[in-house]
Amino acid sequence: MKSLITTASERKRPFFPQIALVWRIIFGTLFVITLLLGGFTTLKPVVVLPRITLAPGFNLVDQTGAQISNEQVRGGIALYNFTYSGCIDDCPQTTPLMAEVQARVAQLETGGIPVKLVTISIDPEHDTVEQLAAYADAHNADPDIWRFATGSPMQIKSVIGGGFSTYYTEKEGKIKFDPAFMLVDGNGILRAEYRTAVPDTAIILRDINLLVEEAHNSTGPQKLAYEAAHLFLCYPD
Amino acid sequence: MHIDPQERNYIVITIALVVIFATAILVSAFAYDIQVPVPYAEVNPNEVATPGISPWGDPLDERVRELAPNKYEAYILAQTWAFLPNRITIPKGSTITFYVTSKDVQHGFIIADTNINMMVIPGQVSTLTATFDKAGEYHFVCNEYCGVGHQTMFGTIIVEE
Repeated sequence: MKSLITTASERKRPFFPQIALVWRIIFGTLFVITLLLGGFTTLKPVVVLPRITLAPGFNLVDQTGAQISNEQVRGGIALYNFTYSGCIDDCPQTTPLMAEVQARVAQLETGGIPVKLVTISIDPEHDTVEQLAAYADAHNADPDIWRFATGSPMQIKSVIGGGFSTYYTEKEGKIKFDPAFMLVDGNGILRAEYRTAVPDTAIILRDINLLVEEAHNSTGPQKLAYEAAHLFLCYPD
Repeated sequence: MHIDPQERNYIVITIALVVIFATAILVSAFAYDIQVPVPYAEVNPNEVATPGISPWGDPLDERVRELAPNKYEAYILAQTWAFLPNRITIPKGSTITFYVTSKDVQHGFIIADTNINMMVIPGQVSTLTATFDKAGEYHFVCNEYCGVGHQTMFGTIIVEE
């Protein structure tokens, strides 16, 4: 008859070795995943700009009277600002910064990726093609890099207000607008918004460089690293 | 140490659940960006209602802005004990983005029949977007107790045909 009392030798079973192999595999995998996640998000081996939304499509007229559309700008990195040629006095000035960026991108090593600047007029009724041509000359705009666009008030509203979510209005003949710069990548995706009249030029250039690097490096297996950086929000500080 | 096999199984399951949930939190926080309402932007609560330097200081009728046809943004200031503006009229089918901040204490902002429900914290801007496809009146209230006048904090969104 088997004794009801368990002896010490029977009781003494080490705990951990009895955990089934399947549990060890599960714990081990989870541990490794946690380590990788933590490592990737803190070390940020790849830094990317967020994919905010699709940049709007447009089909406008530039300062030479030629057509300018989002498809022409596509394939290159584009920086947008929105202003009008009569923006003087206490109107927020965004064009001087565009001129500075134009001067700086000329020295940028982009490896064949064009960097374009586009200024869209928020006062299309007064900003005719001739008016914009004079405005472009006054700011030494290089027509290969920097173009100025105008169109019908409705088209402009749908691009700037609808697409770039930037507000402007005309009240008692005075135009009021929120100064903003938008950075769009070669795939036509909005990657950075600078909603101020005086963003840091160094930050804009850093962001342009990030887009250039991403365009060059995110091919083949490296694409996975870039996608992981997007997934784990490895954004610049 | 003797542990009954069945008891041991439950111990293992419990530990496994803790590890799985901890991993789920890490993955959702880092990979899917699921977070407690994070500040969209920071503002100075003492200056947020100042006209000219902040959209929450603009005249009441200019705080709901039409970005483009059927696309709006609304700058709503929560304060003890009112939302300003507390009456918003938009056409049916509009998409509206709410930017809500507080100039004093912590408030809440919930719009019935939508998925908008957020904390309003002084110094921070809470933002969410909703599309109103059905005409009618939508009421929003403060759902975070903010003082003796808490029950008077409400407003209406009128969606017109």
